[in-house]
Amino acid sequence: MNDRAMTAGDAVVPLDPLGPQVRRLFEALAHAGEPRAAVANGGATPANATRVVSGDAGRERRGTRVKFTLRLAGDRLLEVRYRAYGCPYTLAACEWLARRLEAGGRALIGAPGEWAQELRIPPARMGRLLVVEDALRAALAAAGLPSTDS
Amino acid sequence: MTAQAPAYLDYAATSPVDARVAAAMSECLTLDGVFGNPSSMHQHGRLARERVERARAQAAALIHAEPQQLVWTSGATESNNLAILGTARAAARRGRHLVSARTEHKAVIDPYHRLEHEGFQVTWLETDGQGLIAPQQVREALRDDTVLVSIMHANNEIGVLQDIEAIAAACHERAVPLHVDAAQSAGKVSVDVTRLGCDLLSFTAHKMYGPKGIGALYFAPARRAALQPLVFGGGHERGLRSGTLAVHQIVGFGLACELAAAAWASDAQHCERLRARLWQGLQAIEGVLLNGHPTQRVAGILNVSFTGIEGESLLMGLSDLSVSTGSACNSDSDEPSYVLRALGRDSELAQSSLRFSLGRFSTEADIDRAIAAVTREVRRLRAILP
Repeated sequence: MNDRAMTAGDAVVPLDPLGPQVRRLFEALAHAGEPRAAVANGGATPANATRVVSGDAGRERRGTRVKFTLRLAGDRLLEVRYRAYGCPYTLAACEWLARRLEAGGRALIGAPGEWAQELRIPPARMGRLLVVEDALRAALAAAGLPSTDS
Repeated sequence: MTAQAPAYLDYAATSPVDARVAAAMSECLTLDGVFGNPSSMHQHGRLARERVERARAQAAALIHAEPQQLVWTSGATESNNLAILGTARAAARRGRHLVSARTEHKAVIDPYHRLEHEGFQVTWLETDGQGLIAPQQVREALRDDTVLVSIMHANNEIGVLQDIEAIAAACHERAVPLHVDAAQSAGKVSVDVTRLGCDLLSFTAHKMYGPKGIGALYFAPARRAALQPLVFGGGHERGLRSGTLAVHQIVGFGLACELAAAAWASDAQHCERLRARLWQGLQAIEGVLLNGHPTQRVAGILNVSFTGIEGESLLMGLSDLSVSTGSACNSDSDEPSYVLRALGRDSELAQSSLRFSLGRFSTEADIDRAIAAVTREVRRLRAILP
């Protein structure tokens, strides 16, 4: 449980299944100011933003739903915020992508396979990263930006 | 400064060994203790055999059975396998129909699946929305070729107690034996095999402050001849389970049973009070739902779901609590708890469940930490919902 979960079975459980980087990103969500997770009032999209767009993907019933909100000045990304329903890997990936995008633009983010490698996300959770990617692509498309800097 | 250890609220998964049990076990390991092989005829063997038989009497007393009606196993999983495979295979020429429930532990479900591969047919009973099986359902499932029914006493995830007496009566109307997995109820509620009317009953030490790796199967007198062993090699345990007996574990199990027989009522009262405090605190969180029957349950288990919360993220955020979840974390499967799904919870709610299980050493401070941590994490995760 889990036994499994709860109980469920006696699967081998690593000391911390999340790994250090995912753990750090996941726990960062608890500290106000640091995380890119949007706050309940609608997120960090100040009134003076030049342009605010968003894109979302997934469904709660399927286990993952993500929404990215971008604030731009022209083609320049100023802020990246997200809201998410999902597993710790999903939340950590959103946080990681938001930080990367803010730090250096789309060239730094790569493809889901690279995120998985960087964050040591297990193959069984790759499906969840695809939802994150879809949400991000939708937001970038809404902004009129390609998914990667090329 | 050292960080505070997580509050342990997972007694249904396992319990710490009582210090008195650990002391008794340690007397059976070294040269100056009772380390002999109980099958040996010399004095060391006789002393070990004496301790083993004393433990058998202690374990039998807990469930109001006779000592000769118990066989030692490695735990409830093996007891369940022996009861199910042993009974069904021995009766295969008479019939190949079996009955069990969808909410049983995997240690029951998997042997039944094994038998399906061997040509048996299983009727899987559905519970109602609170996790209960009606005796009439069992009655209606029985056929002329039914050779065994398995229904657990207390459910390991939601703590619901089945009406075993009435289910046994339904089975006996058709002379079908009833096997009961009592891993979560022995030592927690009164378990009297005569009153319950079961023919086979599995229980284990590590759920009642005894060691892991030791359990027992009770069999009614008429069942002995109808039980086929799974392990061969020496004819120990009157041929039912070969292998050198683990004296220190058996001694620990026996003492844990004796202590549980004396303490289960006060333990239950203690757990009931703490569970009420926990449930009252959690109810202040919006969108919290109780899983399982509100009163027909063991005292120590509280299972709740939270609307709009992803279960694995909730659990990972509760690093200062040791609790179990209905989500599939750490497994390769995304399937949520099959028990909660069987109760009719949708997959989202089934996945967002937490099982708190309390025990003899749980404190009010543990409960208050749990309430504070869950409240904080649920709010945090809801704040970032899309």
